[in-house]
Amino acid sequence: MRRALAALSGVFVLLCLGGADSIDVRDLSGGSSTVFDTSREAYSLPSPAMDEENERAFARGRSMFRQSWVIAPANDRAAGLGPLFNRISCIACHARNGKGQAPDDPNGSMQAMLIRLSVPGTDAHGGPKPHPAYGDQLNERGIPGVPGEGIAYLLYEEHDEQFADGTRLTLRKPSVHFRALAYGPLGEDILVSPRIGPAVYGLGLLEAIPDETLLALQDQAKPEGIRGRVNIVWDAINQKEAIGRFGMKANVATLTEQVANAFHGDLGITTPSTPRENCTAVQTACKQAPSGRASEYEETELSQADLFATVFYHRTLAVPARRDMSDKQVLRGAQLFRQAQCAACHIPELRTGKQAALHSLSNQLIRPYTDLLLHDMGDALADGRPDFKATGHEWRTPPLWGIGLAKKVSPEVGYLHDGRARTLMEAVMWHGGEATNAREAVRAMSADDRAALIRYLESI
Amino acid sequence: MIRTPSSLRRQLVSFIVFVSLVFCALQATAETTTQKVVVMTSYPEEVVSRFEAGFEKAHPGTRVEIIWRRSGDAATYLKEQPGRIDVYWTPAQRGFAMLAKQGAFAPLTISMKGLPNKVGGFPISDPGLHYVATEIAGFGFALNTQRLKEKGLPQPRQWTDLVNARWQDELIFPVPSKVGFAPPIVEIITQGYGWIKGWTLLQQIGANALPLEEGGPNISDEVAKGRVSLGVSIDFFVKSAIANGAPVSFVYPGIIGYSPAHVAILKDAPHPEAAKAFTQYVLSDEGQKILFHPDIRKLPVRPTVYKNKPDGYYDPFTAAAAMPFQFDTKGALHRQGLNNALFDIMVTERHPRLRELLHALNEAERAAGKNARLKKELQRARKLATQLPITQQETDQLASRFVSNFEEEQHPDFNATMLNAWREKVRINRQQAEQIAERIIAQSSKKDSRP
Repeated sequence: MRRALAALSGVFVLLCLGGADSIDVRDLSGGSSTVFDTSREAYSLPSPAMDEENERAFARGRSMFRQSWVIAPANDRAAGLGPLFNRISCIACHARNGKGQAPDDPNGSMQAMLIRLSVPGTDAHGGPKPHPAYGDQLNERGIPGVPGEGIAYLLYEEHDEQFADGTRLTLRKPSVHFRALAYGPLGEDILVSPRIGPAVYGLGLLEAIPDETLLALQDQAKPEGIRGRVNIVWDAINQKEAIGRFGMKANVATLTEQVANAFHGDLGITTPSTPRENCTAVQTACKQAPSGRASEYEETELSQADLFATVFYHRTLAVPARRDMSDKQVLRGAQLFRQAQCAACHIPELRTGKQAALHSLSNQLIRPYTDLLLHDMGDALADGRPDFKATGHEWRTPPLWGIGLAKKVSPEVGYLHDGRARTLMEAVMWHGGEATNAREAVRAMSADDRAALIRYLESI
Repeated sequence: MIRTPSSLRRQLVSFIVFVSLVFCALQATAETTTQKVVVMTSYPEEVVSRFEAGFEKAHPGTRVEIIWRRSGDAATYLKEQPGRIDVYWTPAQRGFAMLAKQGAFAPLTISMKGLPNKVGGFPISDPGLHYVATEIAGFGFALNTQRLKEKGLPQPRQWTDLVNARWQDELIFPVPSKVGFAPPIVEIITQGYGWIKGWTLLQQIGANALPLEEGGPNISDEVAKGRVSLGVSIDFFVKSAIANGAPVSFVYPGIIGYSPAHVAILKDAPHPEAAKAFTQYVLSDEGQKILFHPDIRKLPVRPTVYKNKPDGYYDPFTAAAAMPFQFDTKGALHRQGLNNALFDIMVTERHPRLRELLHALNEAERAAGKNARLKKELQRARKLATQLPITQQETDQLASRFVSNFEEEQHPDFNATMLNAWREKVRINRQQAEQIAERIIAQSSKKDSRP
């Protein structure tokens, strides 16, 4: 009953927000967590289904997400940056809660990007085996007295793709290089995976999709060449195996673990879930560096309450509504999206479960354009770095909701896991492996149809 | 990146050769990169990342390393970790003045051509050029015009427009001791209108306002959501919200003041050449134009860049022509801590009672009518109601004992005793004012009830 009331109140909030006459249920990307905003704030708004009491928790989480961290010791609540880190705040890699970008030239810093590292083999739970000296990601920066691990830079190799009508499209493929490595060579067998910061809105809804739905999606019949499977990962918080759904290889099971790992791995902030500093055995100065404490009652740099607040923030960041769904070109694009089999993996509609972390997230019809499954995306996109059950060729289908506003929110944004694609069409043309047929269907399209397809993507 | 087909094979061969050359050249360039500049700042990510990217593009091979520190904590870090920081770049005018006095900075040897050290009568840079302004931010009113209309409130143009009781609970005012950007507002008003009139005005506006304390709601949000009609604010928070679609407008009142941010090179900078390059970049045309970005919206200090300003962007250099007052920055910084304490005693700590008293005085004014004797009494009551416990001269003498937000207090016991004495003085003054108001109202009602 309570849940039904919550769902009803969500709908009521939406009707109030948009005006009863102007709401088209097809626009509701995030169910009751949809916002009708196409400005640069589109990814930064709280779910309208949230009450005033929750607004405070949201504001606290937002403040943690925006916080620039300082080196401990300091007369500051946010002390404990590093000893090794990539950036000093969450929003550095997720500007306005959107995606990051890759540097365009080798002298540019990785401002919204990082490099995952591992060596062949697996850890005790079947996950990637960290490099003995550098760990599982390159931390380019260190606090004073602790050498940053080194500098990674990208070089691009360009090639052209040709559409059936003769139009050509230049794609760029990055390769990762290192210099000024502070803790010795990485070794010949190093596995490397560059990643831009992903968008962080709508995560509560993705968390609320039941495991049963993902398993059913895995098992259902698919068009020729398309498979798709769940990743089975180690859930470090609940200490058990679980279906992965966060991370670019669906390599993390829960939102809390995803947030805690980002604090720990990217900022060097210890959390109740990741209580030890991110130093490897050979990083002596790192191990000797001072740590902060959230308070005299907390052993870690981020308090449990602030971790919860940050998770709450991510759970309740709303999804922007779809737009122009009755527009002729958009309708044509939607038809092409289905015909090209894009929708086989970028599933347009899913329903969240009845048991969600928040009432407002439960039993919602959402339009995330993902199946959260792993798919082989071919050689060109492969990073060669396995992550639990995900092979070096497999990636999780990324949600596409709100992607049409990405350039508006952050004009520098990149697409695909490493930001190599500068436009949506470039991203489409990088698809391979299980998506080869879809890519070839796009290649065969006329210029008008390609424009309609992109227009559709920009509307969702 | 779409091209139409023409002589593609020839182009492809040239392209492959070109890519190979670029690839080798870039690799060679990248491998030589080792320089860095270490910058201490309290700027938010939106500012830092854009200057970092711009500088690294303009100076290939030099990376920016950010040490983030709140301004109140920066001096401690610099003292405890000497020789680690190259550049201090942040909005903390008082901190810069203190560090310069302690000899922390090297004299700046960069070109200052085209960079005035005043905006009209408002000094922005250190006359000794140990630290120079990089941007300024103004103070004014964030407005929700829809709510103004609904409430029948006129669009305010001046600080004095906010004293009418109609504004009660319709405006937010940031408490100077609690909100980092707020302390300059006290000096802008007291210097702009004069010491006594300015403090009276602050109390009248403060009484109408909903005081905003540390960790309180975002002013732009509150105004945009229509919870209030007006928020007294520093401009860039509001201007950035407007640039990103918030339904709010911003008005600079007649008496305008600025909060400058500065840059300085540390005396013991480990990378002095890179420090110089960074400082010059921040002040360059290119660096100054970054301030126009919708996520930043600060006011450049290089007047020529306003030629390319976005539509409707405020130009303080043009506006300065219409505002003749000379601002005493040194005095303002000296008094900042004491001003904060005074504001708390006069407004924040006694907010409901101050509001009731001013309301009673207004009632008494109506009751006094044209009665000259009562009007004189009322004048005395008004003076008592807003009278400070110390004179302007005493303020200057005692100011050095007070600290500003986030600084460590040097004389806590002495100050506590003194502040209590001031509180008592204000309490007695206001009690007297209250009694006078009551008397006037009572006398008037006696007169009215005569047959």
